[in-house]
Amino acid sequence: MLRYIQLASIAIIGCLILSGCAGSRDATQTEAYNRFAIKAAQAQLWNEAVFRWKQVINIDPEDSKAHNNLGVAYEALGNMDEAIASYQRAAELEPNNKYYRLNYRRCRIHLRRSGGNDTDVPQLEDEEELPSTE
Amino acid sequence: MQIAKFLTASFRFASGNGEKLGILLVVLTLFGCSSAVTRVSIPVKVQSEIDITRYSNFAVLPFVSEKQVERNEKLPPEIGEEIASILRRGLARQKHFEVVSTPETTRLLTGETIEEDWLSDTKQLSELGDYFEVKAVIIGSFRFYADSRPRRYYGERYSVRRQRYVMDYQDYMQKTYLLSLRVIIVDVETEQIVWDESYRRSTAEAHTIGSFIFSQVGPQANTIRELGRRAVSEFTRQISPHYESEDRYLVN
Repeated sequence: MLRYIQLASIAIIGCLILSGCAGSRDATQTEAYNRFAIKAAQAQLWNEAVFRWKQVINIDPEDSKAHNNLGVAYEALGNMDEAIASYQRAAELEPNNKYYRLNYRRCRIHLRRSGGNDTDVPQLEDEEELPSTE
Repeated sequence: MQIAKFLTASFRFASGNGEKLGILLVVLTLFGCSSAVTRVSIPVKVQSEIDITRYSNFAVLPFVSEKQVERNEKLPPEIGEEIASILRRGLARQKHFEVVSTPETTRLLTGETIEEDWLSDTKQLSELGDYFEVKAVIIGSFRFYADSRPRRYYGERYSVRRQRYVMDYQDYMQKTYLLSLRVIIVDVETEQIVWDESYRRSTAEAHTIGSFIFSQVGPQANTIRELGRRAVSEFTRQISPHYESEDRYLVN
């Protein structure tokens, strides 16, 4: 009986490893692009970062991280409409991520302060409950 | 081959240490689920706090010393003009603003003495603005005084007799210089005050009793100039469009 349990465990672990490896090529590539883009962003090379995050989105359009990071890059470049759209998309894909919501809220506050019209920009639900780091 | 060895080793570990493996898996899962975040600073444009399309050229009048303040330090009379001159230079560097130059201001103000009661007389300032052919007049007052208090500094010194560091203290006089600069912008056309803010800047010096006595009689013009420069730069930043840094979060 113990022998069967051992064999079954090995089989399950093997299956898990193999299934993990199957879809890992794209994931590894997008992670590499993301890491590179973050390094570019830290060096204030925002155009390079935008290019990389667009590549990530081409590979995986549902990658919420890439949409959020692309929003940050657009905001740094002053493309506010595209930044808002990217933040919205990230928040749609992962509504409970506090960082996406925080970036989105700050972008909207900045847009309002700079005299832009944010009345047609939808608010997220429970936006008041976000932690403030300001 | 190596994978087989790894699996065998894992299996042996699992069969003997079931509880430990469970804990390890939970910890690894939690680590795997957490998303690392990188904080980056992005430049955000901050608009001017005044309507720069309307107030595009200024005349900066000499600043006046607030006379009713008894604590005002004895200062050379040209300090007010020097602060105004610093402000003119700061505004002239901004591409949105034009400022009447210092020689031109001196020429046009020949025979006039700016008094403290001018600050509230917006009609007179407006007429002066018309004379200068500007949209707005900047005027202000300043208050400069020093505050001295005894302080004690605690530190450590090496005691040769005891062969170790011992707690020690030293008494000194802390002299704090304070400048309060009030800046007013008057709209020439409407005679309204569109800006009235005070900027406080301070700096401190540590003195022994000897140097403190010398500092009381020494010149303080350089200190007020430096504090004036800081206060004026804050005002210039507020009324000019500029960039500030703001944090955003990149998710790894």
